[in-house]
Amino acid sequence: MEAQVASRKARKEQDAGLLGICEQLVALAKKAGASDSEAYAERTRESSVKVREGNVEELQQATSKGVGLRVFTAGRLGFAYGTDFSREGLRQLAQSAVSLAKGAAKDQFNELPRGSQLGRGPEGAFDPAIEDIDPAWKLRAAHAAEQAAAQVDRRVRKFDGTGAGDFLARSAIASSRGASAESRASYAYLYCSPVAEADGQLQTASWSDTRRRLAELQAPEEIGRIAAQRAARMLGARKVKTQKAAIIFEPQQAAGFLAGLSGAVNGDLVYKKSSFLAKLLGKRIATEQVTLVDDATLEGGLATRPFDGEGVVSQRTVVIDRGVLRNFLYDTYTARKAGARSTGNAARGWSSLPHIGTSNFVLDRGTVSPEEIVRQTQRGFLVTAMLGSGANVVTGEYSRGANGLWIEDGQIGHAVQEVTVSGSLLDMLQAIDAVGNDLDLRSSTAAPTMRIAEAVISGS
Amino acid sequence: MPKAVRKPAAARAPLLALPLVEKLLSAAMSRGAEFAEVYVERSTTTAVSLDEAKVRSAQVGAVTGVGVRAIRGAQVGYAYSDDLDETALLRTAQTAALIAEGNRDLGPVALSRTPLPTYYQVKQPLAAIDVSRKIELVREADAAARAHDRRVKQVMAGYADQTREILVANTLGRLAEDRQDLCRLGVSCVAFGKGGERRTGFYGGGGRVDFRFFEDFSPAQVGREAARQAVATLGAVPAPAGPQTVVLAPGWSGILLHEAVGHGLEADFIRKGTSLFVGKLGEKVASELVTVIDDGTVAGGRGSLNVDDEGNPGERKVLIEKGVLKGYLYDHLNAKLTGQRSTGSGRRQSFRHAPMPRMTNTYLAPGDQTPEEILGGVRKGLYCRQFGGGQVDISNGNFVFEISEAYLIEEGEITRPVKGAMLIGVGPEALKNVSAVGSDASLDPGLGTCGKDGQSVPVGVGLPTVRIDDVTVGGTGA
Repeated sequence: MEAQVASRKARKEQDAGLLGICEQLVALAKKAGASDSEAYAERTRESSVKVREGNVEELQQATSKGVGLRVFTAGRLGFAYGTDFSREGLRQLAQSAVSLAKGAAKDQFNELPRGSQLGRGPEGAFDPAIEDIDPAWKLRAAHAAEQAAAQVDRRVRKFDGTGAGDFLARSAIASSRGASAESRASYAYLYCSPVAEADGQLQTASWSDTRRRLAELQAPEEIGRIAAQRAARMLGARKVKTQKAAIIFEPQQAAGFLAGLSGAVNGDLVYKKSSFLAKLLGKRIATEQVTLVDDATLEGGLATRPFDGEGVVSQRTVVIDRGVLRNFLYDTYTARKAGARSTGNAARGWSSLPHIGTSNFVLDRGTVSPEEIVRQTQRGFLVTAMLGSGANVVTGEYSRGANGLWIEDGQIGHAVQEVTVSGSLLDMLQAIDAVGNDLDLRSSTAAPTMRIAEAVISGS
Repeated sequence: MPKAVRKPAAARAPLLALPLVEKLLSAAMSRGAEFAEVYVERSTTTAVSLDEAKVRSAQVGAVTGVGVRAIRGAQVGYAYSDDLDETALLRTAQTAALIAEGNRDLGPVALSRTPLPTYYQVKQPLAAIDVSRKIELVREADAAARAHDRRVKQVMAGYADQTREILVANTLGRLAEDRQDLCRLGVSCVAFGKGGERRTGFYGGGGRVDFRFFEDFSPAQVGREAARQAVATLGAVPAPAGPQTVVLAPGWSGILLHEAVGHGLEADFIRKGTSLFVGKLGEKVASELVTVIDDGTVAGGRGSLNVDDEGNPGERKVLIEKGVLKGYLYDHLNAKLTGQRSTGSGRRQSFRHAPMPRMTNTYLAPGDQTPEEILGGVRKGLYCRQFGGGQVDISNGNFVFEISEAYLIEEGEITRPVKGAMLIGVGPEALKNVSAVGSDASLDPGLGTCGKDGQSVPVGVGLPTVRIDDVTVGGTGA
């Protein structure tokens, strides 16, 4: 206990330095000739365990840090990053960023956010229980999940792995335009990946949960049981004939569909007319049941944060409102170029320049239960896992490998593999005819069960 | 004025003082581990990007760190640090040591340097090349792409290189050091056609090569090829859905092998029994025309390794010979646990990651048919010329890969372009349906990055022109 208190104190002292490092860098950049500069630093701690067939297989633990410096010299952008926080290391970083800027083109839109754009939205959850998590707890949870999985079905005997882990992050930003802020985040996760085997066929499945608060994590036994059920039900999977049928995406696959779509509302692709949605602002692009938001202020969201990667205050942006395309997502640079406002969607790590990315990208829940959606489906394909990247937001085409379960007359039947689901993204959005009530924020991009009235399934 | 002649550098100091490396090994073993390893990495990454005809940014990153691994039986303790002072590093080694319980005084480790072959002779580290020359590459590529066709309206060009120095030392006494340079130039284009149609093109290449590589593999050629792809597919019709005969063009199509068999032969999946290739050594798993090689010794190859990230030399391994499964890809841990030897396949993304078995450059040995003969023999099918990414489920063997440029084959002739095609299959079944292999073996130009368990490593793939029957093509056409 005492040791824990002491280490906590030590961490606090280190953390106090993170914003200081950023401020030092901004000063050094100015000295080196930058007209404007912004430093973003992170310090993280990660720890994980992995078990397999009753034995501990892997223990990992580390702390890590880094800082990235973005500079503008007369409208030219330079960027340098590193892990050396010594005075000399920082000085070199500043010089290197400034000298790199000379090679870039002058761009009038290169500017840092300032004034009222900077600020804080609601804090994302930081759970001290995760900070002080006992390594033995993670081992117990992983063992419990694996044991529960092994009791589900005689055909589930092998495991790729079962594990638990935690991740703590502190980030700081400082700029010559007044940004000066820190934030922190905590995550705990648990996963189980069993393999079911019968008649020479192997089927793997995985189930996991990640939360900002330890107490909200799904019970280990439940994670193991769900994972094993998902593997076992895929046994006997076979191709179906090439045909058109209804597609039901389970929540995780619906989230995958949205993640693929997110590039289409990226303000940069839109500005370059390289998104299939570029000219459709204000138009109906989906059915009434589709309301999609990007919300960095969402209570309980994995990506909830007070400000984005440029220090711009977090906000909620309605992307699709009851089927109508309302907004695109912007960072500061693209917003200026496109004559729009930053939506606080600058994503970054210390080793990358800010770029447009989603925060909590969430499809609103509907009113029907997922079971009811299946019952109301005459002939369809319940997609439970996918392969490949799927959406091409430039051309507007979608094609992705899919595994899942066949539905006939509202009943779940045999398992399906080795098929693809294809269609035009716009057609698919306009064919979403059911949205479930089972929204759960298990990932930063999240959706309930979702049905597309018809798409092409390629098989035999 | 004559330039000063630089004296040849004296033998360089190791990345981390060897007495400290030995101390870390002892600390990692202090609780009774059977094996310990110290991995030191220093890497410098340079990147330039161009968008909308402007050099958007130039950037440099420098990262140094140490990863320590302790192994006891099948149990692995792993810890890393980007703090290089002795106290922080000893704490890191002691954290890795926690995997074992007990006490042990290792005594001194006698490290001896492993003599290494050289498969990549990059004379001047890429990090030392002036950034202005890298900027020149993306400018030339952009100009060439735009000049190729007026319908090419968006061009993005990027160049990135990394100079990575590593030192690996373990309690078996092995000490290996290597400098692994890697570069890549890539161009993507969007062509705009009638009625709001947009098609994309992507091309690029590089490898563990001298910067002079781009004198032959010119940025202009890269830009033109990306533009050609985008323009060539304007007016494409929807890809026909369902099973059909496909002919794959040589090169990047080798992603078929990478996904359909390569991952399933990685020894971690084999040891755990989760790959569909478990217990199939000596069995026929592909057509007789299929010989698959994973080769870390390709000169300048993107996936080539003088030494892997565990200190073992890179190797050429025959995985499948004339359709018969011959071997798996081993790292240290999985080899040790199953009584095999490492095949130099232990790789990791960085010091922040523990190594695991991975591919290097994976290719299909050439056959004896000309590409014309192969195409000429297809009455109706799909010709796949350029490819996107792929993915595999190693348990049920389902794999996909995306086709970015494809054409119908009608009566042995390449006819109309099609859009939105992808291939799906089960590894061994697809390889049993290989019915013709061309003599035009070719590696991809140096583009690939493979992801596994959250770790990315550069890889190469290769394939001659190949015909496969009865492959499911995902598409929306009739």
